[in-house]
Amino acid sequence: GKEKATQMCAGNGFDPSIFTENLLSFMGLNRLEGGEDEQPEGQQVDGYLPEDAWHRLARRAESCFRTAPSFHYMNGAFHVEPPPPKPRIE
Amino acid sequence: TSQVQRGLEKLTPAQVERKVTAEVVQFILVKDQKKFPIRRADLIRVVLKEYKNIYPEVMKRAARTFEQVFGLRLMEIDPKNHLYILQNNLEPVGAASPVISKTGLLWVILSVIFMKGGVVRESVIWNILKKLRVQPGEKHSEFGEVKKVVTEEFVRQRYLEYVRVPHTEPLEHDFCWGQRAVAEVSKAKILEFMAELHQQDPKSWSQQYREAQASSPRAGTSSQR
Amino acid sequence: MSQQMGDSHRRFLQTMMGCAVVTGREADALYRFCCEAHNTQHVPHKLDDFIKTINSKLQPLFMEIRKGMSEDSGEQCYALINTSQSDITRMSSDYADNELELFRKTIELVVGSESGKISSTDVLNSADSLTTKKMKKSETEQLLNRLVHDKWLNENQGEYTLSTRCILEMDQYIHTMYEDQVKKCQICHHIAFQCQICDNPACGIKIHNPCVARVFKEKTEPKCPTCGDFWPHEIP
Ligand SMILES: [Zn+2]
Ligand SMILES: [Zn+2]
Repeated sequence: GKEKATQMCAGNGFDPSIFTENLLSFMGLNRLEGGEDEQPEGQQVDGYLPEDAWHRLARRAESCFRTAPSFHYMNGAFHVEPPPPKPRIE
Repeated sequence: TSQVQRGLEKLTPAQVERKVTAEVVQFILVKDQKKFPIRRADLIRVVLKEYKNIYPEVMKRAARTFEQVFGLRLMEIDPKNHLYILQNNLEPVGAASPVISKTGLLWVILSVIFMKGGVVRESVIWNILKKLRVQPGEKHSEFGEVKKVVTEEFVRQRYLEYVRVPHTEPLEHDFCWGQRAVAEVSKAKILEFMAELHQQDPKSWSQQYREAQASSPRAGTSSQR
Repeated sequence: MSQQMGDSHRRFLQTMMGCAVVTGREADALYRFCCEAHNTQHVPHKLDDFIKTINSKLQPLFMEIRKGMSEDSGEQCYALINTSQSDITRMSSDYADNELELFRKTIELVVGSESGKISSTDVLNSADSLTTKKMKKSETEQLLNRLVHDKWLNENQGEYTLSTRCILEMDQYIHTMYEDQVKKCQICHHIAFQCQICDNPACGIKIHNPCVARVFKEKTEPKCPTCGDFWPHEIP
Protein backbone atom coordinates (compact mmCIF):
# COMPACT_ATOMS: atom_id res chain seq x y z
CA GLY A 1 0.00 0.00 0.00
CA LYS A 2 2.67 2.44 1.11
CA GLU A 3 4.82 1.49 -1.89
CA LYS A 4 2.13 2.22 -4.46
CA ALA A 5 1.37 5.56 -2.89
CA THR A 6 4.99 6.67 -3.00
CA GLN A 7 5.23 5.71 -6.65
CA MET A 8 2.02 7.42 -7.64
CA CYS A 9 2.63 10.86 -6.24
CA ALA A 10 6.32 11.18 -7.03
CA GLY A 11 6.33 11.45 -10.80
CA ASN A 12 10.06 11.36 -11.31
CA GLY A 13 10.51 9.84 -7.93
CA PHE A 14 12.97 7.15 -7.25
CA ASP A 15 12.57 5.47 -3.92
CA PRO A 16 15.70 3.64 -2.81
CA SER A 17 13.78 1.39 -0.42
CA ILE A 18 11.40 0.20 -3.14
CA PHE A 19 14.39 -0.24 -5.41
CA THR A 20 16.29 -2.42 -2.94
CA GLU A 21 13.15 -4.40 -2.17
CA ASN A 22 12.62 -5.17 -5.87
CA LEU A 23 16.28 -5.80 -6.45
CA LEU A 24 16.43 -8.29 -3.59
CA SER A 25 13.53 -10.17 -5.14
CA PHE A 26 15.34 -10.20 -8.47
CA MET A 27 18.46 -11.51 -6.78
CA GLY A 28 16.45 -14.38 -5.37
CA LEU A 29 16.11 -13.33 -1.72
CA ASN A 30 14.86 -16.21 0.34
CA ARG A 31 12.30 -14.58 2.63
CA LEU A 32 10.95 -17.68 4.31
CA GLU A 33 14.03 -19.05 5.96
CA GLY A 34 16.89 -17.29 7.66
CA GLY A 35 15.75 -14.81 10.22
CA GLU A 36 18.83 -15.14 12.43
CA ASP A 37 20.46 -12.76 9.96
CA GLU A 38 21.39 -9.76 12.05
CA GLN A 39 19.55 -6.63 10.96
CA PRO A 40 21.40 -3.49 11.98
CA GLU A 41 19.40 -0.31 12.49
CA GLY A 42 16.09 -2.07 12.28
CA GLN A 43 16.13 -2.94 8.61
CA GLN A 44 12.84 -4.23 7.33
CA VAL A 45 13.99 -6.90 4.88
CA ASP A 46 14.54 -10.35 6.36
CA GLY A 47 15.91 -13.46 4.75
CA TYR A 48 19.13 -14.36 3.03
CA LEU A 49 20.51 -14.11 -0.48
CA PRO A 50 21.38 -17.25 -2.44
CA GLU A 51 25.00 -17.81 -3.39
CA ASP A 52 24.49 -16.83 -7.03
CA ALA A 53 22.60 -13.60 -6.21
CA TRP A 54 25.30 -11.22 -7.46
CA HIS A 55 26.00 -13.38 -10.48
CA ARG A 56 22.36 -13.25 -11.38
CA LEU A 57 22.37 -9.48 -11.16
CA ALA A 58 25.67 -9.17 -13.04
CA ARG A 59 24.41 -11.35 -15.88
CA ARG A 60 21.41 -9.09 -16.38
CA ALA A 61 23.32 -5.85 -15.81
CA GLU A 62 25.98 -6.75 -18.40
CA SER A 63 23.68 -5.66 -21.19
CA CYS A 64 23.95 -2.06 -19.94
CA PHE A 65 27.73 -2.07 -20.36
CA ARG A 66 29.91 -1.94 -23.42
CA THR A 67 32.97 -3.18 -21.67
CA ALA A 68 35.85 -4.48 -23.75
CA PRO A 69 36.94 -8.00 -22.81
CA SER A 70 40.50 -8.15 -21.56
CA PHE A 71 43.31 -10.46 -22.57
CA HIS A 72 45.06 -12.57 -19.94
CA TYR A 73 48.04 -14.84 -20.37
CA MET A 74 50.82 -16.61 -18.52
CA ASN A 75 53.44 -17.07 -21.22
CA GLY A 76 55.58 -13.95 -21.28
CA ALA A 77 54.43 -12.81 -17.83
CA PHE A 78 57.81 -13.60 -16.28
CA HIS A 79 61.44 -13.55 -17.25
CA VAL A 80 62.68 -16.84 -18.66
CA GLU A 81 66.27 -17.89 -18.46
CA PRO A 82 66.80 -21.17 -20.25
CA PRO A 83 68.93 -23.63 -18.28
CA PRO A 84 72.62 -23.57 -19.16
CA PRO A 85 73.53 -26.16 -21.78
CA LYS A 86 74.62 -29.39 -20.14
CA PRO A 87 78.25 -30.31 -20.68
CA ARG A 88 78.39 -33.18 -23.11
CA ILE A 89 80.04 -36.39 -22.05
CA GLU A 90 82.73 -37.19 -24.56
CA THR B 1 69.26 -2.15 -26.75
CA SER B 2 71.85 -0.60 -29.06
CA GLN B 3 71.72 -3.85 -30.99
CA VAL B 4 67.97 -3.43 -31.31
CA GLN B 5 68.47 0.12 -32.45
CA ARG B 6 70.94 -0.88 -35.12
CA GLY B 7 68.50 -3.54 -36.24
CA LEU B 8 65.74 -0.98 -36.47
CA GLU B 9 67.86 1.31 -38.57
CA LYS B 10 67.75 -1.30 -41.30
CA LEU B 11 63.95 -1.20 -41.30
CA THR B 12 61.84 0.98 -43.51
CA PRO B 13 59.68 3.61 -41.80
CA ALA B 14 56.63 1.51 -42.62
CA GLN B 15 58.17 -1.50 -40.90
CA VAL B 16 59.04 0.53 -37.83
CA GLU B 17 55.50 1.79 -37.67
CA ARG B 18 54.14 -1.73 -37.89
CA LYS B 19 56.44 -2.96 -35.13
CA VAL B 20 55.67 -0.03 -32.86
CA THR B 21 51.95 -0.39 -33.54
CA ALA B 22 52.05 -4.03 -32.47
CA GLU B 23 53.83 -3.04 -29.26
CA VAL B 24 51.37 -0.25 -28.58
CA VAL B 25 48.47 -2.66 -29.07
CA GLN B 26 50.12 -5.14 -26.73
CA PHE B 27 50.80 -2.45 -24.13
CA ILE B 28 47.20 -1.25 -24.20
CA LEU B 29 45.87 -4.80 -23.88
CA VAL B 30 48.12 -5.45 -20.89
CA LYS B 31 47.12 -2.20 -19.19
CA ASP B 32 43.45 -2.91 -19.85
CA GLN B 33 43.64 -6.13 -17.81
CA LYS B 34 42.78 -4.13 -14.71
CA LYS B 35 40.57 -1.68 -16.61
CA PHE B 36 42.65 1.29 -15.60
CA PRO B 37 42.83 3.97 -18.30
CA ILE B 38 46.00 4.13 -20.37
CA ARG B 39 48.07 7.31 -20.07
CA ARG B 40 49.63 8.77 -23.14
CA ALA B 41 52.70 9.68 -21.09
CA ASP B 42 53.24 6.00 -20.17
CA LEU B 43 52.80 4.90 -23.75
CA ILE B 44 55.49 7.30 -24.87
CA ARG B 45 57.82 6.52 -22.01
CA VAL B 46 57.55 2.73 -22.16
CA VAL B 47 56.83 1.87 -25.77
CA LEU B 48 57.55 4.65 -28.19
CA LYS B 49 60.70 6.07 -26.58
CA GLU B 50 62.85 7.48 -29.37
CA TYR B 51 60.01 7.04 -31.86
CA LYS B 52 57.72 9.49 -30.13
CA ASN B 53 57.70 11.66 -33.23
CA ILE B 54 55.61 9.03 -35.03
CA TYR B 55 53.10 8.99 -32.14
CA PRO B 56 50.07 10.32 -34.07
CA GLU B 57 50.51 7.86 -36.92
CA VAL B 58 51.08 4.92 -34.56
CA MET B 59 48.00 5.76 -32.49
CA LYS B 60 45.91 6.02 -35.62
CA ARG B 61 47.12 2.60 -36.69
CA ALA B 62 46.62 1.10 -33.23
CA ALA B 63 43.06 2.43 -33.16
CA ARG B 64 42.45 0.91 -36.58
CA THR B 65 43.85 -2.44 -35.41
CA PHE B 66 41.60 -2.47 -32.36
CA GLU B 67 38.62 -1.69 -34.55
CA GLN B 68 39.34 -4.12 -37.37
CA VAL B 69 40.71 -7.08 -35.43
CA PHE B 70 39.03 -6.88 -32.02
CA GLY B 71 35.88 -4.87 -32.64
CA LEU B 72 37.06 -2.43 -29.96
CA ARG B 73 37.34 1.31 -29.99
CA LEU B 74 40.33 3.16 -28.60
CA MET B 75 38.88 6.30 -27.03
CA GLU B 76 40.37 9.31 -25.36
CA ILE B 77 38.15 9.86 -22.32
CA ASP B 78 40.15 12.66 -20.80
CA PRO B 79 41.58 15.08 -23.35
CA LYS B 80 43.24 17.15 -20.65
CA ASN B 81 45.27 14.32 -19.11
CA HIS B 82 45.32 12.22 -22.31
CA LEU B 83 43.76 9.08 -20.93
CA TYR B 84 42.54 6.30 -23.19
CA ILE B 85 40.19 3.39 -22.70
CA LEU B 86 39.03 0.51 -24.85
CA GLN B 87 35.34 0.38 -25.50
CA ASN B 88 33.34 -2.37 -27.16
CA ASN B 89 32.00 -1.69 -30.63
CA LEU B 90 29.84 -4.81 -30.61
CA GLU B 91 26.41 -4.90 -28.99
CA PRO B 92 26.30 -6.96 -25.81
CA VAL B 93 24.57 -10.27 -26.51
CA GLY B 94 25.15 -12.27 -23.35
CA ALA B 95 27.22 -14.97 -24.97
CA ALA B 96 29.24 -17.66 -23.28
CA SER B 97 31.61 -15.27 -21.55
CA PRO B 98 32.04 -15.69 -17.81
CA VAL B 99 30.21 -13.35 -15.45
CA ILE B 100 32.11 -10.72 -13.51
CA SER B 101 30.05 -10.24 -10.38
CA LYS B 102 31.48 -6.78 -9.68
CA THR B 103 29.43 -5.65 -12.68
CA GLY B 104 26.34 -6.13 -10.49
CA LEU B 105 27.75 -3.97 -7.71
CA LEU B 106 28.80 -1.30 -10.18
CA TRP B 107 25.39 -1.40 -11.81
CA VAL B 108 23.63 -0.71 -8.51
CA ILE B 109 25.79 2.33 -7.80
CA LEU B 110 25.63 3.77 -11.31
CA SER B 111 21.88 3.33 -11.55
CA VAL B 112 21.20 4.95 -8.21
CA ILE B 113 23.32 7.94 -9.25
CA PHE B 114 21.49 8.14 -12.56
CA MET B 115 18.03 7.79 -11.01
CA LYS B 116 18.81 10.44 -8.40
CA GLY B 117 19.86 13.03 -10.92
CA GLY B 118 23.61 12.56 -11.32
CA VAL B 119 25.07 13.17 -7.87
CA VAL B 120 24.56 11.08 -4.74
CA ARG B 121 25.96 11.41 -1.25
CA GLU B 122 28.17 8.49 -0.23
CA SER B 123 26.01 7.58 2.78
CA VAL B 124 23.00 7.03 0.49
CA ILE B 125 24.96 4.48 -1.54
CA TRP B 126 26.14 2.61 1.54
CA ASN B 127 22.65 2.51 3.00
CA ILE B 128 21.41 0.89 -0.19
CA LEU B 129 24.32 -1.54 -0.33
CA LYS B 130 23.78 -2.48 3.32
CA LYS B 131 20.26 -3.57 2.46
CA LEU B 132 21.81 -5.72 -0.24
CA ARG B 133 23.98 -7.36 2.45
CA VAL B 134 27.10 -5.46 1.48
CA GLN B 135 28.81 -3.77 4.43
CA PRO B 136 31.50 -1.16 3.78
CA GLY B 137 33.59 -2.22 6.75
CA GLU B 138 33.48 -5.95 6.12
CA LYS B 139 35.12 -8.32 3.73
CA HIS B 140 32.44 -9.48 1.30
CA SER B 141 32.56 -13.07 0.05
CA GLU B 142 32.16 -11.92 -3.56
CA PHE B 143 33.87 -8.53 -3.67
CA GLY B 144 36.48 -8.62 -0.93
CA GLU B 145 37.12 -5.23 0.64
CA VAL B 146 34.08 -3.45 -0.74
CA LYS B 147 34.99 0.00 0.45
CA LYS B 148 38.27 -0.26 -1.44
CA VAL B 149 36.61 -1.65 -4.55
CA VAL B 150 34.07 1.16 -4.67
CA THR B 151 36.12 4.18 -3.62
CA GLU B 152 39.46 3.14 -5.13
CA GLU B 153 39.15 0.53 -7.88
CA PHE B 154 36.00 1.87 -9.54
CA VAL B 155 37.38 5.38 -9.23
CA ARG B 156 40.74 4.47 -10.75
CA GLN B 157 38.95 2.70 -13.56
CA ARG B 158 36.99 5.90 -14.06
CA TYR B 159 33.63 4.32 -13.59
CA LEU B 160 33.02 6.60 -10.62
CA GLU B 161 34.05 10.00 -9.44
CA TYR B 162 34.46 10.40 -5.72
CA VAL B 163 34.28 14.07 -4.87
CA ARG B 164 34.87 15.77 -1.53
CA VAL B 165 31.96 17.87 -0.41
CA PRO B 166 33.28 21.25 0.71
CA HIS B 167 32.66 22.52 4.25
CA THR B 168 31.65 19.20 5.75
CA GLU B 169 32.81 18.07 9.15
CA PRO B 170 33.45 15.15 9.30
CA LEU B 171 34.45 15.03 5.66
CA GLU B 172 31.80 13.76 3.25
CA HIS B 173 31.93 12.61 -0.35
CA ASP B 174 29.61 12.59 -3.34
CA PHE B 175 29.54 9.97 -6.07
CA CYS B 176 28.91 10.70 -9.73
CA TRP B 177 29.56 8.93 -13.02
CA GLY B 178 33.17 8.79 -14.18
CA GLN B 179 34.32 9.31 -17.74
CA ARG B 180 34.48 5.58 -18.43
CA ALA B 181 30.89 5.11 -17.33
CA VAL B 182 29.76 7.93 -19.60
CA ALA B 183 31.47 6.22 -22.54
CA GLU B 184 30.60 2.64 -21.72
CA VAL B 185 27.22 2.50 -20.00
CA SER B 186 23.84 2.93 -21.64
CA LYS B 187 21.37 5.01 -19.62
CA ALA B 188 18.51 3.73 -21.75
CA LYS B 189 19.37 0.15 -20.86
CA ILE B 190 19.66 1.00 -17.19
CA LEU B 191 16.19 2.54 -17.30
CA GLU B 192 14.88 -0.48 -19.14
CA PHE B 193 16.17 -2.82 -16.42
CA MET B 194 14.89 -0.42 -13.75
CA ALA B 195 11.43 -0.51 -15.33
CA GLU B 196 11.57 -4.28 -15.41
CA LEU B 197 12.45 -4.42 -11.72
CA HIS B 198 9.62 -2.07 -10.74
CA GLN B 199 7.16 -3.46 -13.29
CA GLN B 200 6.63 0.07 -14.39
CA ASP B 201 6.78 1.96 -17.68
CA PRO B 202 10.24 3.51 -18.22
CA LYS B 203 8.47 6.68 -19.38
CA SER B 204 7.01 7.14 -15.91
CA TRP B 205 10.41 8.47 -14.85
CA SER B 206 10.05 11.26 -17.36
CA GLN B 207 13.20 13.18 -16.49
CA GLN B 208 15.46 10.12 -16.58
CA TYR B 209 13.70 8.94 -19.72
CA ARG B 210 14.46 12.18 -21.51
CA GLU B 211 18.07 12.06 -20.41
CA ALA B 212 18.44 8.47 -21.55
CA GLN B 213 16.99 9.29 -24.96
CA ALA B 214 19.35 12.21 -25.35
CA SER B 215 22.47 10.30 -24.41
CA SER B 216 21.90 7.08 -26.33
CA PRO B 217 23.13 5.43 -28.37
CA ARG B 218 26.55 6.67 -27.39
CA ALA B 219 26.02 9.97 -29.09
CA GLY B 220 29.19 11.77 -30.00
CA THR B 221 31.60 9.29 -28.49
CA SER B 222 33.40 8.58 -31.73
CA SER B 223 35.02 11.96 -32.08
CA GLN B 224 38.19 12.34 -30.07
CA ARG B 225 38.31 15.98 -29.29
CA MET C 1 45.04 -13.99 -49.81
CA SER C 2 43.62 -14.41 -46.34
CA GLN C 3 39.97 -13.60 -45.75
CA GLN C 4 38.96 -10.27 -44.27
CA MET C 5 37.63 -10.17 -40.76
CA GLY C 6 34.00 -9.33 -40.10
CA ASP C 7 32.04 -8.72 -36.91
CA SER C 8 31.45 -12.46 -36.59
CA HIS C 9 35.22 -13.01 -36.36
CA ARG C 10 35.56 -10.13 -33.93
CA ARG C 11 32.84 -11.48 -31.67
CA PHE C 12 34.44 -14.91 -31.74
CA LEU C 13 37.78 -13.37 -30.73
CA GLN C 14 36.17 -11.28 -27.98
CA THR C 15 34.50 -14.35 -26.54
CA MET C 16 37.82 -16.19 -26.62
CA MET C 17 39.37 -13.29 -24.69
CA GLY C 18 36.65 -13.73 -22.10
CA CYS C 19 36.81 -17.47 -21.61
CA ALA C 20 40.36 -18.24 -22.84
CA VAL C 21 39.67 -21.88 -23.73
CA VAL C 22 36.75 -23.72 -25.32
CA THR C 23 36.15 -27.28 -26.40
CA GLY C 24 35.74 -28.09 -30.08
CA ARG C 25 32.02 -28.49 -29.59
CA GLU C 26 31.74 -25.15 -27.83
CA ALA C 27 33.83 -23.54 -30.56
CA ASP C 28 31.51 -24.95 -33.23
CA ALA C 29 28.49 -23.57 -31.41
CA LEU C 30 30.19 -20.22 -30.87
CA TYR C 31 31.17 -20.02 -34.53
CA ARG C 32 27.56 -20.59 -35.49
CA PHE C 33 26.31 -18.11 -32.90
CA CYS C 34 28.70 -15.38 -34.07
CA CYS C 35 27.72 -15.87 -37.72
CA GLU C 36 24.03 -15.71 -36.89
CA ALA C 37 24.45 -12.67 -34.65
CA HIS C 38 25.99 -10.74 -37.55
CA ASN C 39 24.05 -12.18 -40.47
CA THR C 40 27.03 -13.79 -42.11
CA GLN C 41 26.95 -17.17 -43.75
CA HIS C 42 27.75 -20.04 -41.44
CA VAL C 43 29.53 -22.84 -43.27
CA PRO C 44 29.52 -26.03 -41.19
CA HIS C 45 32.91 -27.74 -40.76
CA LYS C 46 34.74 -24.55 -41.71
CA LEU C 47 35.58 -23.55 -38.15
CA ASP C 48 39.31 -23.99 -38.71
CA ASP C 49 39.25 -21.71 -41.75
CA PHE C 50 37.29 -19.16 -39.76
CA ILE C 51 39.92 -19.28 -37.01
CA LYS C 52 42.71 -19.11 -39.57
CA THR C 53 41.36 -15.76 -40.72
CA ILE C 54 41.46 -14.47 -37.15
CA ASN C 55 44.94 -15.88 -36.60
CA SER C 56 46.31 -14.18 -39.68
CA LYS C 57 45.46 -10.85 -38.04
CA LEU C 58 46.59 -11.92 -34.57
CA GLN C 59 49.98 -13.19 -35.64
CA PRO C 60 51.63 -9.76 -35.98
CA LEU C 61 50.24 -8.92 -32.52
CA PHE C 62 51.87 -11.98 -30.93
CA MET C 63 48.57 -13.73 -30.24
CA GLU C 64 47.05 -16.94 -31.57
CA ILE C 65 44.03 -19.19 -31.21
CA ARG C 66 45.72 -22.55 -30.88
CA LYS C 67 44.16 -25.98 -31.19
CA GLY C 68 45.13 -28.96 -29.08
CA MET C 69 43.87 -32.03 -27.30
CA SER C 70 42.66 -32.14 -23.73
CA GLU C 71 44.72 -34.73 -21.85
CA ASP C 72 41.68 -35.50 -19.70
CA SER C 73 38.93 -36.01 -22.23
CA GLY C 74 40.84 -36.39 -25.49
CA GLU C 75 38.62 -33.68 -26.92
CA GLN C 76 40.04 -31.04 -29.26
CA CYS C 77 40.13 -27.62 -27.61
CA TYR C 78 40.97 -24.07 -28.65
CA ALA C 79 42.81 -21.58 -26.50
CA LEU C 80 43.72 -17.94 -27.03
CA ILE C 81 47.39 -17.60 -26.24
CA ASN C 82 50.17 -15.07 -26.05
CA THR C 83 53.19 -15.99 -28.15
CA SER C 84 55.80 -13.44 -27.15
CA GLN C 85 57.94 -12.46 -24.23
CA SER C 86 59.13 -8.90 -23.73
CA ASP C 87 59.33 -6.02 -21.27
CA ILE C 88 55.77 -5.18 -22.25
CA THR C 89 54.33 -8.66 -21.71
CA ARG C 90 56.06 -8.84 -18.33
CA MET C 91 53.92 -5.89 -17.18
CA SER C 92 51.00 -8.26 -16.84
CA SER C 93 49.75 -7.96 -13.30
CA ASP C 94 47.42 -10.91 -12.87
CA TYR C 95 49.89 -12.66 -10.56
CA ALA C 96 52.57 -11.37 -8.21
CA ASP C 97 56.22 -12.39 -8.66
CA ASN C 98 56.16 -15.05 -5.96
CA GLU C 99 52.91 -16.43 -7.36
CA LEU C 100 54.49 -16.72 -10.78
CA GLU C 101 57.49 -18.42 -9.23
CA LEU C 102 55.24 -20.97 -7.56
CA PHE C 103 53.40 -21.55 -10.82
CA ARG C 104 56.72 -22.29 -12.51
CA LYS C 105 57.66 -24.65 -9.70
CA THR C 106 54.34 -26.40 -10.18
CA ILE C 107 55.11 -26.93 -13.85
CA GLU C 108 58.53 -28.27 -12.87
CA LEU C 109 56.97 -30.72 -10.43
CA VAL C 110 54.52 -31.95 -13.06
CA VAL C 111 57.28 -32.33 -15.63
CA GLY C 112 59.30 -34.35 -13.15
CA SER C 113 56.41 -36.57 -12.12
CA GLU C 114 55.79 -39.91 -13.75
CA SER C 115 52.02 -39.61 -13.99
CA GLY C 116 51.74 -35.91 -14.85
CA LYS C 117 49.90 -35.41 -11.56
CA ILE C 118 51.04 -33.84 -8.33
CA SER C 119 49.42 -33.45 -4.93
CA SER C 120 48.75 -30.17 -3.16
CA THR C 121 51.30 -31.30 -0.55
CA ASP C 122 53.97 -31.34 -3.25
CA VAL C 123 53.14 -27.73 -4.11
CA LEU C 124 52.92 -26.66 -0.46
CA ASN C 125 56.35 -28.14 0.21
CA SER C 126 57.92 -26.31 -2.67
CA ALA C 127 56.35 -23.05 -1.48
CA ASP C 128 58.95 -23.12 1.33
CA SER C 129 61.76 -22.66 -1.14
CA LEU C 130 60.46 -19.58 -2.92
CA THR C 131 63.23 -17.05 -3.47
CA THR C 132 61.06 -14.03 -4.28
CA LYS C 133 58.74 -13.91 -1.26
CA LYS C 134 57.66 -16.68 1.08
CA MET C 135 54.06 -17.78 0.99
CA LYS C 136 51.92 -19.01 3.85
CA LYS C 137 50.07 -22.30 3.57
CA SER C 138 46.73 -20.55 3.26
CA GLU C 139 48.12 -18.21 0.60
CA THR C 140 49.44 -21.14 -1.38
CA GLU C 141 46.09 -22.85 -1.17
CA GLN C 142 44.35 -19.69 -2.33
CA LEU C 143 46.77 -19.36 -5.21
CA LEU C 144 46.12 -22.95 -6.28
CA ASN C 145 42.39 -22.24 -6.27
CA ARG C 146 42.95 -19.16 -8.37
CA LEU C 147 45.13 -21.01 -10.86
CA VAL C 148 42.38 -23.59 -11.22
CA HIS C 149 39.74 -20.88 -11.54
CA ASP C 150 41.79 -19.09 -14.21
CA LYS C 151 42.18 -22.42 -16.01
CA TRP C 152 45.94 -22.78 -15.69
CA LEU C 153 45.68 -25.94 -13.61
CA ASN C 154 43.14 -28.72 -13.25
CA GLU C 155 42.26 -30.20 -9.91
CA ASN C 156 40.80 -33.59 -9.25
CA GLN C 157 40.49 -35.01 -5.71
CA GLY C 158 43.45 -33.04 -4.41
CA GLU C 159 45.65 -33.81 -7.39
CA TYR C 160 46.79 -31.13 -9.80
CA THR C 161 47.53 -31.44 -13.51
CA LEU C 162 48.43 -28.92 -16.20
CA SER C 163 45.33 -27.69 -18.01
CA THR C 164 44.88 -27.69 -21.77
CA ARG C 165 45.21 -23.90 -21.71
CA CYS C 166 48.49 -24.18 -19.85
CA ILE C 167 49.92 -26.88 -22.13
CA LEU C 168 48.96 -24.94 -25.26
CA GLU C 169 50.32 -21.60 -24.10
CA MET C 170 53.36 -22.81 -22.17
CA ASP C 171 54.42 -25.32 -24.84
CA GLN C 172 57.46 -23.32 -25.96
CA TYR C 173 58.44 -22.51 -22.39
CA ILE C 174 58.30 -26.13 -21.31
CA HIS C 175 60.39 -27.21 -24.27
CA THR C 176 62.99 -24.54 -23.59
CA MET C 177 63.26 -25.27 -19.89
CA TYR C 178 62.93 -29.02 -19.83
CA GLU C 179 64.23 -30.05 -23.22
CA ASP C 180 65.68 -33.36 -22.05
CA GLN C 181 62.87 -34.24 -19.65
CA VAL C 182 59.70 -33.85 -21.65
CA LYS C 183 58.56 -36.50 -24.05
CA LYS C 184 56.10 -36.43 -26.87
CA CYS C 185 53.19 -38.79 -27.29
CA GLN C 186 54.03 -41.55 -29.76
CA ILE C 187 50.57 -41.26 -31.33
CA CYS C 188 49.74 -37.55 -31.62
CA HIS C 189 53.31 -36.21 -31.30
CA HIS C 190 52.32 -33.55 -28.81
CA ILE C 191 53.93 -33.08 -25.42
CA ALA C 192 52.64 -35.70 -22.96
CA PHE C 193 52.04 -35.39 -19.23
CA GLN C 194 49.11 -37.59 -18.25
CA CYS C 195 50.02 -40.73 -20.11
CA GLN C 196 51.04 -44.38 -20.04
CA ILE C 197 54.65 -45.42 -20.48
CA CYS C 198 55.98 -48.53 -22.21
CA ASP C 199 57.42 -50.93 -19.61
CA ASN C 200 60.33 -51.98 -21.81
CA PRO C 201 63.24 -50.00 -20.32
CA ALA C 202 64.95 -49.81 -23.70
CA CYS C 203 61.82 -48.21 -25.19
CA GLY C 204 59.85 -46.19 -22.62
CA ILE C 205 57.66 -44.31 -25.08
CA LYS C 206 54.74 -42.30 -23.80
CA ILE C 207 51.14 -42.31 -25.00
CA HIS C 208 48.41 -39.96 -23.74
CA ASN C 209 45.59 -41.74 -21.95
CA PRO C 210 42.99 -40.72 -24.57
CA CYS C 211 45.41 -41.68 -27.35
CA VAL C 212 45.84 -45.10 -25.71
CA ALA C 213 42.08 -45.51 -25.71
CA ARG C 214 41.90 -44.56 -29.37
CA VAL C 215 44.79 -46.63 -30.69
CA PHE C 216 44.13 -49.82 -28.72
CA LYS C 217 40.39 -49.76 -29.20
CA GLU C 218 39.08 -53.28 -29.93
CA LYS C 219 42.59 -54.75 -29.83
CA THR C 220 42.60 -58.03 -27.92
CA GLU C 221 46.33 -57.96 -27.26
CA PRO C 222 47.66 -54.38 -27.22
CA LYS C 223 51.32 -54.05 -28.24
CA CYS C 224 53.67 -51.08 -28.01
CA PRO C 225 53.66 -49.40 -31.44
CA THR C 226 57.44 -48.87 -31.20
CA CYS C 227 59.05 -51.94 -29.64
CA GLY C 228 56.22 -54.46 -30.04
CA ASP C 229 56.25 -55.49 -26.37
CA PHE C 230 52.98 -56.29 -24.69
CA TRP C 231 51.24 -53.10 -23.43
CA PRO C 232 50.64 -53.97 -19.79
CA HIS C 233 48.49 -51.02 -18.73
CA GLU C 234 44.78 -50.86 -18.39
CA ILE C 235 43.18 -49.47 -21.52
CA PRO C 236 41.06 -46.46 -20.52
ZN1 LIG D 1 48.71 -38.21 -27.78
ZN1 LIG E 1 57.76 -49.89 -26.24
